Amino acid sequence: MVNVFICYYCITHGCCDAPISLNGLVLPERQFKIVELLVKGIKDVDSIALEMGVNRSDIMRDLAELQSKNLLITSSREYEIFVPTEEGLRYVKIGLPEERLLKVLEKIGDVSLDKIGELAKQIDVELKEEEIKIGIIHLLRYGIVKVEKGILSLMDKSKTPLLLEKCESLRRGILNPGNAPNNILRELKRRGLLKRKIRKSICIEPTEKLLDLFRKRKIKPAKVVTELTSDIIRSGAWRTAIFKPYDLKVEVPTVYPGRKQPYMELLEWIREILVSMGFEEIKGPYVELELWNFDVLFQAQDHPAREIHDTFFVRDLGPGTIKDKVLLERIKSVHEDGWITGSIGWRYKWSIEKAMRLILRTQTTAVSVRELYKRGDGEYRCFSLDRVFRPETLDPRHAMEFYQLEGIIVGKRVKFKHLLGFFNEFARRLGLGRVKIKPAYFPFTEPSVEGFIKHPELGWIEVFPGGMFRPEVLLPLGIRESKVAAWGIGIDRIAMTILGIDDIRDLFSQDIEVLRRMKVPMITSVLG
Amino acid sequence: MPIIDISKTDMFELLGMELSDSEIEQLLAKLKCEVETIENDIVYYEATHDRPDLFSVEGLVRALKGLMRLEVGLRKFEVYDSKIVLKNMGPKYRPVVLGATVEGLKLNEEAVRQIMQIQEKLHSTYCRNRRKVSIGVYDLSTITPPIRYIAADPRTVKFIPLDMDRLMTLDEILVEHPKGIEYGYIIKEYSRYPLLIDSEDRVLSMPPIINSDETKVTEDTEEVFIDVTAVDYRMAMDILRVLVTSIAERGEKIGIVRVIDKNNSIYSPDMSTRTMNLETELISDLVGINLSPERIVELLKIMRLDAYCENEDLLKCKIPVYRLDILHPVDLVEEVVMAYGYENLEPELLPPEHSGIEKGLERFTRILREIMIGFGMQEVANYMMTNRDLLYRKMNIEESPTIEVVNPKQEKYSCLRTWIVPQLIEVLSASKHAGYPQRIFEIGDVVHVDYTSENLTKQERHLAFVIADRAIGLTDALVLIRSLFNTLGLSYSLRETKHGSMIEGRCAEILVEEEPIGIVGEIHPLVLVNFELEVPVVACEINIEHCLRAVLSSSR
Repeated sequence: MVNVFICYYCITHGCCDAPISLNGLVLPERQFKIVELLVKGIKDVDSIALEMGVNRSDIMRDLAELQSKNLLITSSREYEIFVPTEEGLRYVKIGLPEERLLKVLEKIGDVSLDKIGELAKQIDVELKEEEIKIGIIHLLRYGIVKVEKGILSLMDKSKTPLLLEKCESLRRGILNPGNAPNNILRELKRRGLLKRKIRKSICIEPTEKLLDLFRKRKIKPAKVVTELTSDIIRSGAWRTAIFKPYDLKVEVPTVYPGRKQPYMELLEWIREILVSMGFEEIKGPYVELELWNFDVLFQAQDHPAREIHDTFFVRDLGPGTIKDKVLLERIKSVHEDGWITGSIGWRYKWSIEKAMRLILRTQTTAVSVRELYKRGDGEYRCFSLDRVFRPETLDPRHAMEFYQLEGIIVGKRVKFKHLLGFFNEFARRLGLGRVKIKPAYFPFTEPSVEGFIKHPELGWIEVFPGGMFRPEVLLPLGIRESKVAAWGIGIDRIAMTILGIDDIRDLFSQDIEVLRRMKVPMITSVLG
Repeated sequence: MPIIDISKTDMFELLGMELSDSEIEQLLAKLKCEVETIENDIVYYEATHDRPDLFSVEGLVRALKGLMRLEVGLRKFEVYDSKIVLKNMGPKYRPVVLGATVEGLKLNEEAVRQIMQIQEKLHSTYCRNRRKVSIGVYDLSTITPPIRYIAADPRTVKFIPLDMDRLMTLDEILVEHPKGIEYGYIIKEYSRYPLLIDSEDRVLSMPPIINSDETKVTEDTEEVFIDVTAVDYRMAMDILRVLVTSIAERGEKIGIVRVIDKNNSIYSPDMSTRTMNLETELISDLVGINLSPERIVELLKIMRLDAYCENEDLLKCKIPVYRLDILHPVDLVEEVVMAYGYENLEPELLPPEHSGIEKGLERFTRILREIMIGFGMQEVANYMMTNRDLLYRKMNIEESPTIEVVNPKQEKYSCLRTWIVPQLIEVLSASKHAGYPQRIFEIGDVVHVDYTSENLTKQERHLAFVIADRAIGLTDALVLIRSLFNTLGLSYSLRETKHGSMIEGRCAEILVEEEPIGIVGEIHPLVLVNFELEVPVVACEINIEHCLRAVLSSSR
């Protein structure tokens, strides 16, 4: 046992018979105290616990560790103890039956046997039928009372002090059976005021090794550190300290990372993808003139989409205004007779009042046409990723407010086949697989197309509507040479697929737990 | 878009051959019709709004025959003079009436049902729920022409309407007949109601409500009279052409009716076909496929149009009377592409001319979002639609001008938010089970009324955050604000203020370049109680567009 350092791990965990260094064995403070008591000759666990001012269960772990180091041997034996019964405790509180009966007799004198209970009650002495019998038996035994012709009367008062003294001993015996004389103990057991209980006692014997080390002062107490502090580091106390081991089974509290709202995070990804495909982001107003939302898009003023069922109208505000009167003239003309576009138009009387009404935009196409109006002919591509509004009741499948991803590709050479090429490329970058196309109808594009992607559960779902903007849309905006491929994407549906949710309301969940549980969006095709 | 149901048996009979379910599905898709389901003999499909001629099996089969090359080019209808006169003495508020007949009909139960269906679908779409146009079809053998369209006294005129077994006055029909209840509002306010009667005063119908029982079409009907009443002549004629050509697919001839007005008379329906020029270049230019003029003519014929080459570059196209959707040569281009087959188009990727870029405000939003997450905050997103009760009453503040909608579906979502904090507190209220602390933020748009702009509104992007914990105070919010502005490299100051939602003496305005851009404070217990919250909450809301401006100006 020379030049061996203490294995702290083993000391604290008791996993092996730790080698002991020249400096001796360092024990946690509590274990050291146990050792001291053992050496003093206190070998009963309960007594040790009592001495240390802790509960027996508190030191069991320490004992086990000391035992595993061969410092002590434990043995247990069973022994019986007596504890008071419920009745016993009751007697301690209100007196034994003979005492109480005596009290009644002293107060009211001779009494008929069948009246005792009633009379006792009148003077507030609690005395059950059963207890009256017990009382009489004991009073008779001492010769204090007699019974004649059903009448109980006091006979010899001189024995009363003896009885009371006995009763006092019995009550003490109930409370402290350990110190009661045998005769009292016997009587208490017989009268059912005490009951027997088996207890296990643990007895500890120090080993020779312990006594030897102790004698040679090779066992020392150490400070147990639960938390390393700057002070402990600075003072060097850590050199002799024992670090309290962690119980790895204890549940730790959960903390949640600050994180992006999953849907917003997905939208950021989608923005990134579009930017990488050469698109500039554009924005427009939520509260829109019908003009930009519908009329410019060549949607006739009595088009069903413009009715109250499909569009939110703004209350008590408006009409809006448009400074560009030339634009208004063109729109009016294109609706009424096609203007110079070569179209026959919708052939009805166009109303400026209706066009100036304010609505919540129903489509971000309004944003696209505002941009076309602003920039005119040229070679550019723009997208908007923003919210639109439709009168729907919020339920798992419908929402009154949702995101639309919308874009335009503008240029002299832009053709319908390029729109289809864009769909394929965008779907590829989102990891959505092959796009299947079918002819479709939208009031503002011709030819029009609907692109479908294969959903693992739902089958083919429509996600890519698009087409070439009609001349009736472009010419009034001042686009004369360029052609414009326009597309819009129901991004909510794609988002639900990627986020693995099936209730559209969860995209805007107000339940923090739902948000915490939602997985981070993964566009796997982008990840590698 | 209307859902149409047709019988396969009936369809195959009209087509002259049978098709498998998948063939039906594929062929209908080429006509923009999407098959919803096929249940035994019945096919349910969704037709697009622009093709009312496909709202019944007759028109659908006509188009299918073209696609299947069974019958191509313009469908020619035999037309004759029915000699029937229709006198227009109708009410001023529904001034137009037109008529037509179809003879030589062979009808069965399904055919009668299809005639009912196309009327119903036209009524609910093009006719704007009968407000603008309504139509009626009658067994001509029960009628004695001439026919008169009059404005009748609703209290005295009586007839037996469809689905009833007794004479009813027009007034009674409006309150008792299901159709009267449904469509009565269109005419109720007037003193006289539209009525069609024959020369013996027999009632044909009470447009736009209900037909008479006596004149109804049955399987035995061989000749029908059709009427259209409307507020607009063009719409009436369009609808009549669609309907009469559909019914004529089961008959022999279309009869022309003379409609006499006070001043003039016209012949109805106008069966003349329109001609539209198509420059062949437009197809290659718009779509990116090169087709010879002959091929284009062939494809247009497949779509049941007619065309001939005027020269190498120009085609003259004849458009069927029932095609209401062709307004411009680009519509002809789509016809050509549909016949060519969308599946045969080759997608081509056009590389961009310029690099793309994110909107500055979105980029800035992303920067802020990342800073907030660095502070351990959880991002949430709320709808912009909310309600005044939440924005103002529950927050214990005065109402301010707010964009509200006339027709909300739910009161809970009836206006646009003017600030975000109330919704964040709503989130706390909905997440009481989630344990504390709760540290959440949102970056989103709010909308205010602004009379100086064209759309009378101004939208702003705000950053709002709230922290709720068993013990929390203003300091916790101020710490965040300080760190946020330090990270952005902006200086700011605080100024005492009062705010109904916050505890007096524990809230402040945030100023950047002397301009107030936001507010921070401890939420008043009065407000917490309104949201059934039992923990203290601090809140902050900042207009980040001001911050962005400050960042930009400080860098210049």
